[in-house]
Amino acid sequence: MTLRTLVIAGFCAVVGLVWIIESGAADVFLEATRPDFQKIPLAIAGIENLGGTESPEGRVKLGSRIEEVLKTDVRRSLVFALVDVNGLGIKSGQLGAEPDPSFKHAVENGVSVVVWGRAGIKSGNKDSDVNMDGYVYDAGNNEVVGGKRYVGSTSVVRLMAHRFADELVFRYTGEPGIARTKIAYVSELGSARELFVMDYDGYDPRQLTADGFLNLMPRWSPDRRFLVFTTYRNRNTQDIDLLELATGKRWTIVSQGGLNITPALSPDGNFLAYSSSSEGNAELYRMDTHTKAVQRLTTNSGGDLSPSWAPSGRELAFTSDRNGGPQVFLISADGSNVRRLTFEGDYNAAPAWSPRGNWIAYVCRTSRKEYKLCLITPDGQKRVQLTTGPGVDDSPSWSPDGRHIVFSSTADGKSHIYMINTDGKDLERITFTGTHNSAPAWSPAS
Amino acid sequence: MKTLATIPLPVILGLFLLMSPACTKKAVQSGGDARALQEDMARGGATKGGASSSFPDTSLSGKDDANGLRGIDRNPLEERLGGGGHNGTGTVSPGNTLTAKPDHGAAARQLAEIRAEQAASAAAGLRDVFFTYDSFSITDEGRHALTGDAEWIKSNPQAQLKIEGHCDERGTSAYNLVLGEKRAKAVRNYLVELGVVSQHLSVVSYGKERPFCMEHGEHCYSLNRRGHLAVKVGK
Repeated sequence: MTLRTLVIAGFCAVVGLVWIIESGAADVFLEATRPDFQKIPLAIAGIENLGGTESPEGRVKLGSRIEEVLKTDVRRSLVFALVDVNGLGIKSGQLGAEPDPSFKHAVENGVSVVVWGRAGIKSGNKDSDVNMDGYVYDAGNNEVVGGKRYVGSTSVVRLMAHRFADELVFRYTGEPGIARTKIAYVSELGSARELFVMDYDGYDPRQLTADGFLNLMPRWSPDRRFLVFTTYRNRNTQDIDLLELATGKRWTIVSQGGLNITPALSPDGNFLAYSSSSEGNAELYRMDTHTKAVQRLTTNSGGDLSPSWAPSGRELAFTSDRNGGPQVFLISADGSNVRRLTFEGDYNAAPAWSPRGNWIAYVCRTSRKEYKLCLITPDGQKRVQLTTGPGVDDSPSWSPDGRHIVFSSTADGKSHIYMINTDGKDLERITFTGTHNSAPAWSPAS
Repeated sequence: MKTLATIPLPVILGLFLLMSPACTKKAVQSGGDARALQEDMARGGATKGGASSSFPDTSLSGKDDANGLRGIDRNPLEERLGGGGHNGTGTVSPGNTLTAKPDHGAAARQLAEIRAEQAASAAAGLRDVFFTYDSFSITDEGRHALTGDAEWIKSNPQAQLKIEGHCDERGTSAYNLVLGEKRAKAVRNYLVELGVVSQHLSVVSYGKERPFCMEHGEHCYSLNRRGHLAVKVGK
């Protein structure tokens, strides 16, 4: 059995939680970063259990949990190809700080990196601290190039795995990885919709607002400290609020009457773009967050909304129905040079400019009147439909590494949050509780 | 890459203090939230809250660009995650990074007001207007309903009416807010045509966020594409 088949077998075991993307979309190769990038074959030789479970009544041992989370993070990084250790005869467990002789065979079969470690609550530890040691063997150097040592309570065992995964990505790409990123979203409580935030893998959801009415469409500040979103004052008018995650403190930053929707902070945080109908119909505005000066960017009889900044901060994509149905347009940050980007179909909306700048994701209505995700290049030359099948897809938001998109879909009935790679592979549902989860917004990387 | 010249001196000093190896146990936070707090401290104080004219600095300028990672090390120091360490580097646990305290009293007050509004609207006997897919044109049936509504409003001049624009679940949340506003405004404009004083009317769009009917299918969709007339209660 070749390494390639082992890798594929490993992937097949974990992919496909919800529905399988039709082959048409999967055929399109859309590596968002480097088209020639080869994944680095990485084997996780196991995180040995030193003792203790996740919770007093829990059955999952701490090392096993960290290993499971680490494997998922490594797979989702798309930097590494997770190799099946059993197929390569790599010894797992009872590994010290030195490379095991069994690694040699794995290296001969193409494995570049072997990772292992141990974690648990050491007996006699009265603080019940969890300790984790991780080791990294690099085949190129033929040595253990280093490791990590973490300590913390049982509430941070997932974070230990996430940090270790991000360290691995950082070492091999120089980029921080996404395993510690968060997703802000809207969830239904009774008839109200409140803001929540969860880990990028759907764990640890935390409620941020309890207004009892509607809070909609959160977006992150570039430093991850704040969310901007639309809230309804007295149920009758819309404001744009800023919420500080560390404290829950809120500031109203736009309160003009009419619609005040789809706020988006520029990549440098110096401007807030948003849509307001305070002067008639929905138009785009840009506020200088330092001087609070507001500049109107659009003037026409159609609705203009959903601004999304290019990573350069020099342009925005937005939705406009100035020609009838909604379409995606581009505009310079000073309001000049407006041009239409989408021409296929009669409904294209909710654009999201990728952090690498090379794609814009948006909601496209197909000829079968289904609302799916599409990708288009900013020059309009290439266009691809990313999702297929039943359900209304909405609110695409990019991972900071540009390799994934998170979005909401009613594919399973109720609205839930899903993640997909930009090549249309690895569709995964990440929320499983609640009756309506929507408007996901992926945080910047830390 | 940022050059040192672009980073304010207090930040550099603060980071230097934070990075100095006071002991072998290193406190590491869950992410950027905690780091940002440290930077605030380094700048000399937490940001102040305020009214709409003043809100905290949302810009990245002058901030440390580090990612919180310390690298894979041959002799790794122990990193304490989530706080609880014994050194004073301002560790913040994951629990403390997100401490928005839901005020369930606010939600209860909202619910009481919503119920009062629904009761007042039901007592008035106002009729809603329904729209076709993608459309904000008032149908003949809608005109008929609004003719009756206009009579009620004229004979109850003390009442303040709220016209809510609603959409079905298809389409994007954002664009449905625009479509909902168009529907609400179409209703308002027709009522004004019928002689209602516009000062008695306000419009609000709920897009597809407050559906009347929860199922998927045309029956519910047609009930949710609506201009709803509500009698305002209180403020």
